[in-house]
Amino acid sequence: MKTIKNSLLMAGLVCAFGLSGGAANAQNEAQQFPVATKTLKNGMKVLVQSDHSIPNVALYIFYRIGSRNEHPGTTGLSHFFEHMMFNGAKKYGPGELDKVMEANGGENNAYTNQNLTVYQDWFPRSALPLIFDIEADRIQYLQFDPKKIASEREVVASERRLRTDNDNGGLLDEQLWATAYIAHPYQWPVVGWMSDIERWTMDDLKHHFEMGYSPNNATMVVVGDVTSDEIFQLCEKYIEPIPTHAPPPPVTTVEPEQLGERRLVVHKPAELPLLMIGYHIPKTNDPDFYALNILRTVLFQGESSRMYQRLVDKDQIALGVLSEVQPGFDPTLAIITAQPKQGVDPATCEKEIYEELNKATASLISDQELEKAKNIRLVEFYHQMRTINGRANTIGTYEIYFGDYTRLFDAAKNYSAVTKEDVQRVAAKYFGPNNRTVATLLPENEGKAKQ
Amino acid sequence: MSSPKRIGRFFCFLAALLAFAVAASTQTLKLPPHEKVVLKNGLTLLVMEKHGVPIVSFSAIVKTGSAADPAGQEGLATITAGLLRKGTQKRTAQQFASDLDFIGGSFDSGASDDYTSISAEFLTKDLDRGLDLFSDAVLHANFPQTEVDKLLAQSIDGVKASKDEAEAVIFNYYGGYLYGTHPYARPEGGDELSLKRIQRDGISKFYEANYVPANTILAVAGEFNAAELKKKLETTFGAWPAKPAPVANIPTATPVKGKRLLLVDKPDASQTYFAFGNVGVSATDSDRVAIRVVNTAFGGTFASLLNTALRIESGYTYGASSFFQPQKAAGPFAIYSFTKNETTVPAIDLALKVLDDFRKNGITAAQLDTAKKYMKGQFPPRIETSGQLAARIASNEFYGLDDNEINQLEARIDAVTVESAKQIIEKHFPKDNLVFVLIGKASEIGPAVKKYAEKEDERKISEPGFWPPAK
Repeated sequence: MKTIKNSLLMAGLVCAFGLSGGAANAQNEAQQFPVATKTLKNGMKVLVQSDHSIPNVALYIFYRIGSRNEHPGTTGLSHFFEHMMFNGAKKYGPGELDKVMEANGGENNAYTNQNLTVYQDWFPRSALPLIFDIEADRIQYLQFDPKKIASEREVVASERRLRTDNDNGGLLDEQLWATAYIAHPYQWPVVGWMSDIERWTMDDLKHHFEMGYSPNNATMVVVGDVTSDEIFQLCEKYIEPIPTHAPPPPVTTVEPEQLGERRLVVHKPAELPLLMIGYHIPKTNDPDFYALNILRTVLFQGESSRMYQRLVDKDQIALGVLSEVQPGFDPTLAIITAQPKQGVDPATCEKEIYEELNKATASLISDQELEKAKNIRLVEFYHQMRTINGRANTIGTYEIYFGDYTRLFDAAKNYSAVTKEDVQRVAAKYFGPNNRTVATLLPENEGKAKQ
Repeated sequence: MSSPKRIGRFFCFLAALLAFAVAASTQTLKLPPHEKVVLKNGLTLLVMEKHGVPIVSFSAIVKTGSAADPAGQEGLATITAGLLRKGTQKRTAQQFASDLDFIGGSFDSGASDDYTSISAEFLTKDLDRGLDLFSDAVLHANFPQTEVDKLLAQSIDGVKASKDEAEAVIFNYYGGYLYGTHPYARPEGGDELSLKRIQRDGISKFYEANYVPANTILAVAGEFNAAELKKKLETTFGAWPAKPAPVANIPTATPVKGKRLLLVDKPDASQTYFAFGNVGVSATDSDRVAIRVVNTAFGGTFASLLNTALRIESGYTYGASSFFQPQKAAGPFAIYSFTKNETTVPAIDLALKVLDDFRKNGITAAQLDTAKKYMKGQFPPRIETSGQLAARIASNEFYGLDDNEINQLEARIDAVTVESAKQIIEKHFPKDNLVFVLIGKASEIGPAVKKYAEKEDERKISEPGFWPPAK
């Protein structure tokens, strides 16, 4: 919704991995947008891309702190903190940030995921110095007013009810992660368990701020009607003086290999059942990233994809079937979601999904499918590149998850290099039964009838 | 992570609603030059070169929407639009999907109250293949029986799935309850019973009668040479046989008198979703820009009066907002939010108080200035891409709005004064005449919410249809 900020996760970031395939074209396109970079004395890296096609600017600040840096008892703290970043600092007090930004034609939002907390500002270039003043203020001097904390706790509880407790997909997704992971912090929800939302303390908050919000733990990306010189000057004035402190301790827990299928069922009142299957896959910055995306494109993307053709079109047992991958600093999940039609046992969908996965393991995809998947990636690349906002997000995504924004320019080449054999190899490696967690939501009456 | 997988995405009945998010303003921003040509067969063609990214965007409007659905067959326009790609004279649905996906093309079609829209995007290098696909769907759809059956069955289940998420259906109930017998009451995507009555024959007839050149606007924007593209369009779309356009007949919509409340019982809800308001204004209302400015301050932004009261200061909700959706006839105005069961009454009371105070106090000079700057500052990214531009010039053409709708927007925004805003509030933000729709747990909230209206209706979310109850 338009006026709602602080979403847990912008779909954009998830999709941000749909990068190009078609070799030279994408490379040329990418090279039309040179990026200037500078690392400030306090450790914050700044990336700037000038584009004067509209008189606006997109500014992103990525903090490398998310739910993976939390612990039982304080789950959801990163996300809650993201909300607090809009609730007043020293110069811009409670409620003033949004007022001042809007009064200068600007708008903002933020999102938190397992790995990051990301702040986004969109504004006319005339608001440029103001935005830096606001960002510097809240990074350094955030207020911790107990009254604001109490009311924001309610806001976050409402958000949780909206996206999880009253949303079958959100609810099942939460259960799936909690089951697929037994050791690593990806097992708890970004929004946090309700009991933690209700109980975290002022000390927890202050500690989190000190841990995550150091300039050397952040990266800024600016795209739009600016020059790199003016951005670097603004950074020197507003951002560079901010002192550095210790970043969050490394997350050392490694999720052990899954040794057999895990299953869970949720019974609740619902019109239709729901099926989600999660497979452990490597962290985002892994060489298999590209082959996995090609595989997922062949299987799931578009109405000509294998899964759509089989489950939705031919056998008509599902309304839709899709796959999503969350980006991760650590090994993450590829999740397949199927919406069975009414009266269809989710197990029927499950069986067909496995059959299609097995086909991709048993034999090579066709040349035509490979070429199609690469074409689709190329088009997605252009779609991300067509707005200043899309470019800010994409540059930041590559810089953060791949460690270097220039990897963006290699994406075309990397997709191009994927072979049919690579696709078969990753299908076999990651999509076997021992590596999966199966979550099923059964409408309450139906579920009871079956028992 | 935890991106809530909104299964509703598969069948997005809320899509039209989200379009309201496109508020507006400009910063000395002008529409790129474009050309309008009316072909001999009556088709209106709009062509705009927009360079920078090698994409071509098609946006067609067939000037008949779900308001023209026959009573009892709600969803006919939506189903017809959905079937365009599901079989043509030269392609099966599967061939269409293969050809489209192979070039990474996109194709979307759907119906809103006022019109049917069909959009597609392709890389410039694939323009010829893309144009062939797009025109094939629009001009030569032939509705194979098996595809009709499939889409209808999926759509019926889609309606059921959407009812698992109150947010996805609240405006179906709201539109129905607000508009009563007016065609805007009809659910654009149909309901569980109306979809069962739709037959292939009716779809074919709807298509033959309404998908005709004189009833169609085609806008194309993106990276191409306009002169060359026009020739291609004249060849493909010029061959579309001329036929008389249907007579569009959307009756005037008038605001509801008094107060009414519909409670939709969702027994498992831990949060109440509520919308209230009345019939608003049409797309050509002379107050339309001033209303947007005033609504921006009232409920159009994060720091707006509504969100400040219901979220920032009280913590009742994750978000509260208000919108006007201008349409051919007067479209809806609504205040919308959600809150946990226990705070349903305090939250609605507070929203009503914000409305009441707004009517009493009007808008301050500072609030007005903020709304103006916000609208102007946020407008350029709304016409940044070829897809946005094609959709924008097509809908402006449909509503009979000229380029000044954008080129003069800044001046029109600036023309609003504190005094004129006061009149806008008085006229367009109702107080005594309000229609409420709540989706929530009736056993917990039912008795307490009766106080909001003289007349109350209640139904279960699992009952087929929205409002009035489907027959």
